[in-house]
Amino acid sequence: MNLDWLDAFLVSGLFFVVMIIGLALLLHIQLGLARIANFGVVGFWGIGMYSFGVLFVKVDWPFGDPWPFLISAAFGSVVAGLSGLLVGWLIADLDEDGVLVGTLGFATAVWILATTEQDLTGGALGMGGLRFPYDIGTVKANETLWLVLLIIVVALILYYVHRVHRAPYGRLLTAIGDNEPLARSLGKATFRTKIWLFAFASAGMGLLGAMYGVMERFLETANIGIDITLAAIVGLILGGTARVWGAVIGVAISVGVFDILVQSYLPLPRDWYSQAIPVLREAIFGAVLIIVLLFRPLGVLGDMRRDKLMRSMHGD
Amino acid sequence: MTDPVEAPAEVRPRIHIEKVVKSFSGRVVVDVDEMVLGEHPIEGLIGPNGAGKTTLMRMIMHSTALDQGRITLLPSGAEGEQIELSQLPTHHMASHGVVKSNQVIMDFEKLTIWDSLLLALAGAKYEQPLRIFSESDLFQESAETAREFLDFFSFGDPFGHAESAGEKKLLDIVRCLMLKPKFLLLDEPTAGLPDETTDKVMQVVRELAVSGTSIVIVEHDLNVIWSLSDQVHFMAEGSVVMRGDPKTIRENHTVVEKYLGEGHV
Repeated sequence: MNLDWLDAFLVSGLFFVVMIIGLALLLHIQLGLARIANFGVVGFWGIGMYSFGVLFVKVDWPFGDPWPFLISAAFGSVVAGLSGLLVGWLIADLDEDGVLVGTLGFATAVWILATTEQDLTGGALGMGGLRFPYDIGTVKANETLWLVLLIIVVALILYYVHRVHRAPYGRLLTAIGDNEPLARSLGKATFRTKIWLFAFASAGMGLLGAMYGVMERFLETANIGIDITLAAIVGLILGGTARVWGAVIGVAISVGVFDILVQSYLPLPRDWYSQAIPVLREAIFGAVLIIVLLFRPLGVLGDMRRDKLMRSMHGD
Repeated sequence: MTDPVEAPAEVRPRIHIEKVVKSFSGRVVVDVDEMVLGEHPIEGLIGPNGAGKTTLMRMIMHSTALDQGRITLLPSGAEGEQIELSQLPTHHMASHGVVKSNQVIMDFEKLTIWDSLLLALAGAKYEQPLRIFSESDLFQESAETAREFLDFFSFGDPFGHAESAGEKKLLDIVRCLMLKPKFLLLDEPTAGLPDETTDKVMQVVRELAVSGTSIVIVEHDLNVIWSLSDQVHFMAEGSVVMRGDPKTIRENHTVVEKYLGEGHV
């Protein structure tokens, strides 16, 4: 297939944007519905990526592609999910400040582990040896196919979130986020629901981490910094935490515009790219967060409209 | 509402309260030596503000922890199985049929009235993370029950949110009714409700009592207590100071008026 028309920057830029959309969608279920502010997104994503990478690289696989990838990715998701279960169990009954500190602390712990466990992760030097579970020709072709697979995965997450809003599970999460003691008095096991929500969403984040690891082919601790969490949170809050499409639209107009349009297509001086742009990006994202929270706290799309939704599902 | 079927008296659940104490900042708010609720179909719990009525209700539901004592549910009357409510997690109360409406307005701001009812009616099997197509099954199973109550209480727009304080208060009671309570605690259920709605709530309460549910009402409107209750517990300063049928309580008007003021009896 002739892919000359396709810009390599665009493929990697789109991959990053779509992946952040996936993370923001998973965060939406936690923050938008159950009102659990998970500031450790990168921790679950990173532990999935490293668990996947270590297994994939260190094991002498007796079977051919795509099994090593599938088994390692499943392993990465399970490790991320179990971490989510553990962190969820620790923070489920804490107040908002406790949740924030707990999840941030977890992300820091993952970063420290990845840095210090050099035998496993390569530490600050990084770890190579990752590759696509197929080879269809050029690097660009492989990367483009990987982007398509990621789009399918994120589209499935989007569909899942869309269905959750229309399912009793979504109603339960909304009720827990809205008034947890009242939900408990109606017989709802709110603690259990919250820790399993954490486990499932974290497993999803871990899978996205594993897919990112394959795209990068090289794992570095610099990848698992706060900017991943910040990108997902800014995108989600900008689009609207309570709406299904909030994550998609918000990430597209924040990360999408900055990382694709500004970074790749604006004629900016070359030397800006190493220092100025990454700093500028964080500064702009921080400013966007403040402005949105001040002037449109519910984001571009606004609040959820369960009245409309219920009427469309059950109205006469 | 449907015609109630009268249940035999021995299956009526009771709650046994023994040596229960609760203090806040060193001040004893509840100190009840022994009390049995549910010996009569509808019991009233009255007393002045600060008597400890609401705290006692919250202690039964384990939403306020006990400093001392024991609260036990006897699901089928005095004999047989006993469930220690003061050891149960709050969310297990509803599965044992012990349900309480709230004194202050409690609502889900983001959920519509229909949502609230379906939430209360949904069993855990429908609310699993992977059951993303179960809404239609739930609706099919529950819509008739929900609709019966929505029509009976004439909610304005059940697809919308509860707007007024009265509507939220009523919705709180209706949510409790959806849980098919065996022991229903109503904390000032008629406060803020229009007279017509109060009458409907009282009608439903009577029907529930006839069909075997034990009901305890905390209420400041003593007309509701006198007309509805078979037994009245009078609390003051954290303890039960008097109990008896409404007639007996009213005959002791000097005690009641001492706490509640003149003209209440």
